[in-house]
Amino acid sequence: MTDTTEATPNKKKAMSMTAEAAAADERGSQDAGFVESKHAGHHWSGEAPMFIYAVWYLAFLYIPVMFLPLFSFNDSIYVAFPLKGFTLQWYGDMVDNPALLRALENSVKVGFGVAMASTFLGLFAAKAMTRYYMPGKGPITSFIMLPLVIPGIVLGIALLVISNTMGMDLSLWTIAAAHTLIGVPFAMLVMVSRLEGFDKNLEEASLDLGEGAFQTFMRITLPLAWPGILASVLLTFTISFDEFILAFFLAGNEVTLPIYIWSQLRFPNRLPMVLSLGACVLVFSFFIVTFSEVMRRRGVGPQSGAAI
Amino acid sequence: MLRDDYIAIKNTSKHFGSVKAVDDITFDIAEAEFFSLLGASGCGKTTLLRMLAGFEQPTLGNIYIDGQPQAGVPPHQRPVNMVFQNYAIFPHLNVHKNIAYGMRKSGLTKAEVDRQVDEMLELIKLPGYGNRGAHQLSGGQRQRIALARALIKRPKVLLLDEPLGALDKKLREQMQLELRALQRDVGITFVFVTHDQEEAMTMSDRIAVMSMGKVLQIDSPTSLYEVPKVKEVADFIGTINFFEGSVKGKEGDATVLDVEGLGTVRSTSAGANAPTAGSTTVAIRPEKFNLTFQQPNIETNMVEGSIQAAAYLGDRSHYYVQVPGRDAPIAVAAQNAQRTMEAVDPDKHEKVWLTFDEDSALLLNN
Repeated sequence: MTDTTEATPNKKKAMSMTAEAAAADERGSQDAGFVESKHAGHHWSGEAPMFIYAVWYLAFLYIPVMFLPLFSFNDSIYVAFPLKGFTLQWYGDMVDNPALLRALENSVKVGFGVAMASTFLGLFAAKAMTRYYMPGKGPITSFIMLPLVIPGIVLGIALLVISNTMGMDLSLWTIAAAHTLIGVPFAMLVMVSRLEGFDKNLEEASLDLGEGAFQTFMRITLPLAWPGILASVLLTFTISFDEFILAFFLAGNEVTLPIYIWSQLRFPNRLPMVLSLGACVLVFSFFIVTFSEVMRRRGVGPQSGAAI
Repeated sequence: MLRDDYIAIKNTSKHFGSVKAVDDITFDIAEAEFFSLLGASGCGKTTLLRMLAGFEQPTLGNIYIDGQPQAGVPPHQRPVNMVFQNYAIFPHLNVHKNIAYGMRKSGLTKAEVDRQVDEMLELIKLPGYGNRGAHQLSGGQRQRIALARALIKRPKVLLLDEPLGALDKKLREQMQLELRALQRDVGITFVFVTHDQEEAMTMSDRIAVMSMGKVLQIDSPTSLYEVPKVKEVADFIGTINFFEGSVKGKEGDATVLDVEGLGTVRSTSAGANAPTAGSTTVAIRPEKFNLTFQQPNIETNMVEGSIQAAAYLGDRSHYYVQVPGRDAPIAVAAQNAQRTMEAVDPDKHEKVWLTFDEDSALLLNN
């Protein structure tokens, strides 16, 4: 029996192979360091300025951030060159600090709650956006996305005013609520790209085969949306974990990690410890976001199903 | 006793905003019939199918399946199942679980469901494929599994939305015959949507030709081809030559006309609503012409012309014959019944004569 769909992955494979070959070619020409072929010549004359620009761009973005881990291992309370020597003392201080650990625990609690709430709401918002026709869909979507473009400080003040008016005590709950507000649009965007990645005929086929809306959601939508859900949970957790302004306005007696870090900056001798904490957060966030991005991209496309 | 109105579509319309995708359609589909909805894309055939499945609700009118009104009944409670255009095989389930998907509420034991799934795999000639993953299947296999997944539910009606469109030509022709045989086997009413007239004619008992949300004609493949009731149907199914003519009068059974390019024409194929006076359209299929290189010994239904273009297709040849009094050449198809090595050279503009039978000249309303 001849085969039509299998041709597509093969083609993809072939394409990715040529891409790899091209990449290897490029590396080869760079390693050689001189112009060897017409292809490589084109590469240097046309793309070298762009390549140098890209390197500078990345350096400009990331070198300042790299000072954090660098000085966190420096055996001096002054954050300045020249480096004095290697130490793990600041990491030790960090672990021995109960206030810090408390703030960390608060951040994790808030982050977890926000991740759950945002993803839950985002999933249903995304389902409504991608699957149903409803009047006013455009404006509703815009309203959901709005917190992304409102300056954090404005949003923070507004939410503080609301909390006071409603007589709500400031606590981790108010922080979590505020973070959920900015987490939902992110969750929704992640879920929309996931839900658009698989055919809505799959859900219709399930309905057609006798399953109601809820069972279809459980048996089809949820398993297929799973990578997106995981990506959304991780992303919104990170957003909450790193967020400062809203937490600053809405924190009661309990503080989150960013607020704690900020409060420590007044004490010069605490700065190296804050740097080591910052380095930890950096590495942690990097891995979570990378992982969530990998999950989100996994198998998105017309052949989406095949990859899951 | 099989019902003639197993599916009854009554004054059904579907509007999307100001667009009338389906515009006041009424017709019946018989039990165990292989029925095709044929039309160009955007003619409303898929919308009509989706209304049968319950994915769309009619804006006006109602649809009855086996006597039961379907308005407001959601897809999962309808006695119909569908084979989707892209098959919609669940990618996270293997073949067995795909086919058994709709059996959760059947009340059968797991062993019984397993047995029925195996039976289905036999039916679609893929025995032993149960453990295959969805991504390990070819297009033809996906199509069969989509079919099995729907048929295991024993629906009253099976809906098929261009299920062969994604297959290559050879496989498609094979599947057409298999589908037809399967339909006879299981005795389920099939409603088949396609834009491919050959596909519709190969498989269907009856075909509804649709255009702009309306049904133009419902008939057997033979009647659609030989007795199209309107110009659009004649034009959509196969190739046809249209001539402008005016009715001169009647001579016995035959209508006598004066036709541009053909002169005096006698026709015995006037449709029931063909005009008895005034101007009309005469339609003649290319293969109904008889092409000769010697002048035939008849007076009417004969015209002299010259070959403008010729295409040799092996089993038959197509000629384009220029006749005086008509701008466009007439398309003529001739069977190459005798073996010949002599090709017709169109540059010589050879003189030919075309003749046709009285019942080959169809009269259509303008």
